Amino acid sequence: MPWYLHLALRQLFPTGRKFPFFTLISTLGVALGVGLLVVVMGVMGGFEYQIRHIIVDTEGEVQVVARSSIADYPAVVRKIEAVPGVVAATPFAGDPVLIMFHDKPVFPMLRGLDLGSIDKVTQLGSYIIAGSLDALDDDSIVLSDQLANSIGATVGDTVEVYSPLIIQKMSADSVFLPRQVLVVGILHKGHQQLDSSTAYGTLRLTQDLFGIGTTAQGIDVRLAPGVGDEEGARRINAVLPGDIRALSWETSFSDFLWVLNLERSMIFFLLLFIVIVAAFSVTSSLLISVVRKTREIGLLGALGARPRQVAACFCAQGLLIGTLGTVAGLGLGFGMLAIRNDVLRGVTRLLNKQDVFERFYQFTELPSHTSGSTVALIVVLTIVISTLAGLFPAWRAARLKPVEALRSE
Amino acid sequence: MSEPVLSARGIRKSFKSGESVLEVLRGVDLDVAAGESVSIRGESGSGKSTLLNLLAGLDAPDAGTVTWAGSDDTGADRRAAYLGMVFQAFYLVPELDAFNNVLLARRILGKVDGAARTRASELLAQVGLSGRSHHLPMQLSGGERQRVALARALMNRPSLIVADEPTGNLDEKTGNEVIELLLGLCASANTALVLVTHNGAHAAKTRRSLLMASGVLGAA
Repeated sequence: MPWYLHLALRQLFPTGRKFPFFTLISTLGVALGVGLLVVVMGVMGGFEYQIRHIIVDTEGEVQVVARSSIADYPAVVRKIEAVPGVVAATPFAGDPVLIMFHDKPVFPMLRGLDLGSIDKVTQLGSYIIAGSLDALDDDSIVLSDQLANSIGATVGDTVEVYSPLIIQKMSADSVFLPRQVLVVGILHKGHQQLDSSTAYGTLRLTQDLFGIGTTAQGIDVRLAPGVGDEEGARRINAVLPGDIRALSWETSFSDFLWVLNLERSMIFFLLLFIVIVAAFSVTSSLLISVVRKTREIGLLGALGARPRQVAACFCAQGLLIGTLGTVAGLGLGFGMLAIRNDVLRGVTRLLNKQDVFERFYQFTELPSHTSGSTVALIVVLTIVISTLAGLFPAWRAARLKPVEALRSE
Repeated sequence: MSEPVLSARGIRKSFKSGESVLEVLRGVDLDVAAGESVSIRGESGSGKSTLLNLLAGLDAPDAGTVTWAGSDDTGADRRAAYLGMVFQAFYLVPELDAFNNVLLARRILGKVDGAARTRASELLAQVGLSGRSHHLPMQLSGGERQRVALARALMNRPSLIVADEPTGNLDEKTGNEVIELLLGLCASANTALVLVTHNGAHAAKTRRSLLMASGVLGAA
């Protein structure tokens, strides 16, 4: 081991002596920054992962859409199902509607499902919390729970559905009554945005309401495990005519994902400042060390050490503090993630706000998902920043002339 | 006659102090032969330590030349192998134990092997500290610290040792022991010694005694 690394190690971890205070404070600062980054990015990643899970569970990995509607959708479904890597496909139609119950309106997206094939593509049934998806027919509907709550409807109630076509005809003074449908199920996906804006009916019901005859507006596709979403979409596009396009769920929800990523990036950027502040603490403690060890630095020069080796000794201390802080921070962060739900339950119980949390976030538990790339980014950035923090003290040490350093008081 | 281990010719050095210029060395000449011990005495502020720094290559003269065995290369790389230094304030690295302080001189040279470790242990034994090799400087007395510094100065088998008042921080008895040790070790290794000291008795033990006065070196 080069002497400057050996000396850096000994200065940070002196034999037979207590862990130096400045090293402890600097390491703790870096560890807190890393720990916080791991916890927040883990929870943010958990939200994103859960949303992806919900979308893929309820709409498949790939969505096929047409410029207008897909007239001969059974033929298109067969063509898609013949593509290698495709497990199943199911047609749908969807548009915004007005749903009224006891004069209370909501404006969800009504999605019409093909009951014969929906189970092959989605696991929608597993999200039903009241009633049953099996009870769905052309005169019934499934509401997401926030929709149902906002109008006070529950399973067994009859609600009125107005489509744009009905409203258009009513405004032309035609007599056109709203469609009365029975609520047969309440669905809870686990995300506020999704749970406040979706209702499900049959494909036939939506065809009638939207006046699209026997066409479909799109096709949801389930891919075999191991087939990438983009790859699946590319394969399907290869067999489709030009006016029908297959889009992966990432592409379909690109705006939504972009906002999520932006949020995540902003939070990462802001939390990174904690690591940067900790790096200033590293700089400050190493600068103090340079001042305290001026005569030792002079001695090293007198013994034949080169200025760049003296600099490397202090840079290495920044690197070691960064590495140690990162390891401790990862332990702290993942430890906190492991007990996150206990902490959450404890805090909400203490404040008596369990209901408020669940009502607003639709989560009874905090999700967590930390990707390897996020951990790698945190580790690399923290170590680089800590090492850079050692540069200025290292430069100061390297500039000291041995004869002046030895003479210093 | 063989090439002197150390040769200084016409060394001049001055320092600026505000508007005035203080001329510390005014043409110093010195030759030190292999294995020779030379002491330099003089009043405080006479320029002894300044001369020693110039001889050790730690500072550059305003005029004149310093050569080691005929070469004017007195840079860091050569210094590590050619020269050992002993200071009044010991200057041990507090985080390293006695053994590693001695070995540090070899680490900086970049050659640490089993033989180097053995030599470090032998040197500690020679200075009477074999049982304290894993003690930190703070656990050693002043005399013991200076012995460790002596062992460190000899670690790379230098041709020359420069010692700047090595007994200045020690009591008389310990100081005498350290000087005896230093002279003995240098003699046994045929290492030249330039010793700066205030102590006339110590100076008398060297082969040649010089006096620094008015920026010029002369016979004591």
